[in-house]
Amino acid sequence: MFGHLAATWKFRHFLLSLVRLDLRQRYRRSVLGIGWSLLNPIAMTVVFTVVFSNLLGGGDPVGYAASVLAGMAVWGFLRDSALAGCRCFQENEAYIRQSPIPYTVYTLRTVLGQAVHSMIAVGVVAALVAAYQADPLALLRLGLAAPGLVMALLVAWAVATLAALATTFFHDTAHLMEVAAQLLFFLTPIMYPRKLLDDKGMGWVVDINPGSWLLDVTRGPLLTGQLPGADVYLTCAALTAALILLAAGAVGWLEKRVIFHL
Amino acid sequence: MPTIEVRNASVTFTARQRRTVSLKEYLLRGMFRGSVNPKVAVHALADVTLSAADGDRVGVIGHNGAGKTTLLKLLAGIYPPTAGTCRVDGTVCSLFDIALGFENDATGWENITYRSYLQGDTPAGVRRKRDAIGAFTELGQFLDLPVRNYSAGMRMRLAFSIATAADPEVLLIDEVLAVGDAAFQIKAKARMKELMSASRLMVVVSHDVYTVVETCNRVVWMKHGRVVMDGAPQEVVDAYLAEVAGGAVARAA
Repeated sequence: MFGHLAATWKFRHFLLSLVRLDLRQRYRRSVLGIGWSLLNPIAMTVVFTVVFSNLLGGGDPVGYAASVLAGMAVWGFLRDSALAGCRCFQENEAYIRQSPIPYTVYTLRTVLGQAVHSMIAVGVVAALVAAYQADPLALLRLGLAAPGLVMALLVAWAVATLAALATTFFHDTAHLMEVAAQLLFFLTPIMYPRKLLDDKGMGWVVDINPGSWLLDVTRGPLLTGQLPGADVYLTCAALTAALILLAAGAVGWLEKRVIFHL
Repeated sequence: MPTIEVRNASVTFTARQRRTVSLKEYLLRGMFRGSVNPKVAVHALADVTLSAADGDRVGVIGHNGAGKTTLLKLLAGIYPPTAGTCRVDGTVCSLFDIALGFENDATGWENITYRSYLQGDTPAGVRRKRDAIGAFTELGQFLDLPVRNYSAGMRMRLAFSIATAADPEVLLIDEVLAVGDAAFQIKAKARMKELMSASRLMVVVSHDVYTVVETCNRVVWMKHGRVVMDGAPQEVVDAYLAEVAGGAVARAA
């Protein structure tokens, strides 16, 4: 694992220049640039707000919209990282066949690109909340959400690496992950408050969902400025560490076989 | 000090009849009914032992499919040995598959930067040699265009110019590189010679046995993934040519 981190640092210029290229390509292809990439989460938020804010939002459409948009930004980051991770080794195959740098550099390329993209959405949420509350200091809440965002980044890197390895051996992984992501979206309190499930005695559905723990340490501080309890952070840190160890174990086990299956 | 130490190394691929497997097939057929996409073991390298030290110029000859390129990829660290060990000390420059791996939407200049970083350069190092690489390509204003607009020859020129701008201790070359038009080929050959003499340890795979005798102080003959002979260039090449001639006579008869 440390060998991979050292190699990632050694090839950081290669990695970062490709991340910059990816972002440039992504935003140059559309007339609206960065705005286009925000269109999807904003459109989804508008639809959810119009349809569900009265039903699920407790009569506060703006608060509901901010909560959904922040949730969508974090959730979208994790989902897109996993799905893009599935294609990662195939897209970087030419480099892999030429140079023996660790494969985790390529999954990090994918995840960093998605992270910048999602951070823009998170920034928009913070700006909207600050504008709505007429309190510029609300922007500082981004700092409170930072530990959670770093954990989300590490989780995304681990998941993207696992997805890339799985796709190398089983080509239908991306399809299965799309189905799983769709199911998890409805099991994660993004468009409804957690209380709704707790009232029905189904809080355990959220408790066993890693995505909802990450939402607690990102969306909560961002919207309310209040940090969740230490137990939530500890659970999140344990979850992040477990996923990193799982990914590191899978890399150690499979990295010498990947090249023969590309 | 640059060294190569390969001990009883094997590279065995597991190929399947169909290229990929789905998780569905793996779970259903693999577990319960036996796969309809069976595995086939391909022994690309078998029990190869080879060592080379500072100053060695090793040529590798053999028929197509003898395992020459696999050996080079093993030395470059791209293929891990599936048995045995392979250790290469020193900065390595690999000249094979160089036309692969361009970012098609990026310009020639940007690709020079990316490739140089991939070869382990720092931003200062890239800044120092960027102009020299650009000049060597002779692509002029085309370097400002995305690489997707380049012809195959132009891509090869760009790739060759970047790959050979390194200052390696261990140089790994696959076949003679046919780069660009006649004028550029003369330049490319001169650059190759320069690189070969500058590197401290070189392994070159080639079908051109005469070039191998000329440039190498040692030749390895490979057949079916094994080293058949390892020794003085003329002696190994003569033995190889005798076998090739014997095979041709046998086929004619």
